[in-house]
Amino acid sequence: MTLALDDRARTTLPDETSRQRHDAAVWQLRAKRDAAAAAVPDFEALRERAAAIKDHALDHLDVLLECFEERAVGAGAQVHWAPDARALCETVESLLRARDVTRIVKSKSMLTEECGLNPWLEARGFDVVDTDLGERIVQLGHEAPSHLIIPAIHRTRGEIGALFHREMGTPAGESDPERLMAAARRDLRARFLAAEAGISGANFAVAETGSLVLVTNEGNADLGTALPPIHIACVGIEKLIPRLDDAAVFLRLLARSATGQPISAYTTVLTGPRPGAELHIVFVDNGRSRLLADPDRRRVLRCIRCGACLNTCPVYRRAGGHAYGTPVAGPIGSVLAPAIGIPSDDARTLPYASSLCGSCTAVCPVRIDLHDQLLAWRRDAPALPPGLARAARVAAAVMARPRLWRAATRAARLAWPLLGVAAHVGGPAAAWAAARELPLHPGASFRDRWRRRVAGKAAP
Amino acid sequence: MSGGGRAAGSNAREQMLHAIRASVSRVAPHPGAHPAPSLDASWTSFAAVLASVGGEPHAPVPRQELPGFAVERARSWAAGGRIVAEPSAAALLGGAAGVETAAATASPSEFADVAVAIVRGELGVAECGAVAVLGSDAPQRALLFLAERVLLLLDTSRIVGDLHSAFRALPPDARAGHHVTWISGPSKTADIEQTLVFGAHGPRALAVLGVT
Repeated sequence: MTLALDDRARTTLPDETSRQRHDAAVWQLRAKRDAAAAAVPDFEALRERAAAIKDHALDHLDVLLECFEERAVGAGAQVHWAPDARALCETVESLLRARDVTRIVKSKSMLTEECGLNPWLEARGFDVVDTDLGERIVQLGHEAPSHLIIPAIHRTRGEIGALFHREMGTPAGESDPERLMAAARRDLRARFLAAEAGISGANFAVAETGSLVLVTNEGNADLGTALPPIHIACVGIEKLIPRLDDAAVFLRLLARSATGQPISAYTTVLTGPRPGAELHIVFVDNGRSRLLADPDRRRVLRCIRCGACLNTCPVYRRAGGHAYGTPVAGPIGSVLAPAIGIPSDDARTLPYASSLCGSCTAVCPVRIDLHDQLLAWRRDAPALPPGLARAARVAAAVMARPRLWRAATRAARLAWPLLGVAAHVGGPAAAWAAARELPLHPGASFRDRWRRRVAGKAAP
Repeated sequence: MSGGGRAAGSNAREQMLHAIRASVSRVAPHPGAHPAPSLDASWTSFAAVLASVGGEPHAPVPRQELPGFAVERARSWAAGGRIVAEPSAAALLGGAAGVETAAATASPSEFADVAVAIVRGELGVAECGAVAVLGSDAPQRALLFLAERVLLLLDTSRIVGDLHSAFRALPPDARAGHHVTWISGPSKTADIEQTLVFGAHGPRALAVLGVT
């Protein structure tokens, strides 16, 4: 029984050393998050409030979107609507074409990853440059980001140095992060200045004022939207919050949950275009309304993409983001994937890539019940992974027949020492045993032990 | 997306809003404003957090000594390079020699070679070391990010403890200037093996000069 996830995990993190390095790097973020959360006296109250604000916003989403549109248009922006990924790509393409734009700088946007905007534009001759350092690394390496906020966390400095040597002519063997950053800065600064349009996402869209809130540490979203004459912001409909005052609640949680910082270096509230420039805001659904329609799943749309659930997840930490094969990895990715866009059967198996330990739920700043959501998707999954489906059918048949069940457990008890050996020979058991120890058998079944216990008590 | 071609703009809007309206019940209440926690709002607290995020706090100086002190700081940083002040900061400095004023009509890329930008901060937030810069004070937003170093001038009586109080203390016309930018330390990244590097794309250094 293997998921496609297992194979992909071995591609990106091929050995125990790389897995341990990834695990440690990610766990460091979790530790910083814990320290930052503990230093804020009202952190738990903030989580409660943030969840309630999002629930309110989602339950009034049509009103908020219309209000946002009215205020943003009033401030001079233009608002566009994209029901799905393709509509987003076509809308952006036509905006760029109508203005003869070919050179584009982009700041990090998981939504455009989800919608495949980069490949769409590149295939049509546009020059699209990702400007977040981590995003630039994965773009140059022709791979996908593996973490929500640290896209190249799966890469070592040596690998990045080799990549920059090949792509940007840095000296061979150079792997000092400061000098690599300096090379990327020089290269990207020229591209910022030459860009004809900037594409961004948005962390929040404020209905009351028609404002977008952009959060970065590098300042790349600001350079990318303050220099070119055209700014196109691609915004998922779940990003709406009612009031500007609400933004403070989320901003106090976001960076602390993500990296342990008290706030990111730059938080920019944009209301309308700068004088002489254009601001286009494209609202995207792409499956979000499906989640909205399901009262049990709607909570997933509270997500503010901080990455805390990835950093704490024992599966993510050991498997790496590429294992998931989806734009967003980790627990949140596994509950978004079956609903967003046109979900593949592979995406539907992701809720099985979890131990259901609940650590994700414990750290989520907007209190999404992630492990319950994972379980709910398992219950409904039309596509159980094939091996698991077969095993479940056999188990159900055996468990439904008490005598067969007793015979099977007795046989298993007798064969127990052999199971450990068999697991290392090959076949599906070997895949299971590769990362697991077979526990010692207690020597008797629960039924036998219970009977003995009852008999013992009954004795005078 | 149906195979029948691209949805026209207004159709797409109606299609999306229709799907949403079918799902929302408009019942879940807004929980109300978050009560501001009682956090220390002193310059000392602000300066400690600013230093922890890589910024440089400069001990407050009286208003009348500001121009001399700020220009001196900027010159030593600029080492002969361009020093440009946003209009509101230029007004505070009173036309010091060697300090240009950013023209509202300039193209943003004209600031690509600026060594030091001087900018007026509207208010500071002690819990996160952030300073709010208003668009009306700094119409050339690109300057805040293109300059090699940024010097923010902050009235120490305009420091609040937490971000809620900060949003509530912004002047009512704060958004008239198209942006409000909260800055907490210099530009930074940790995208290569979690090694913190300053000056990712924007300023390599950021100082906040308190004014009493």
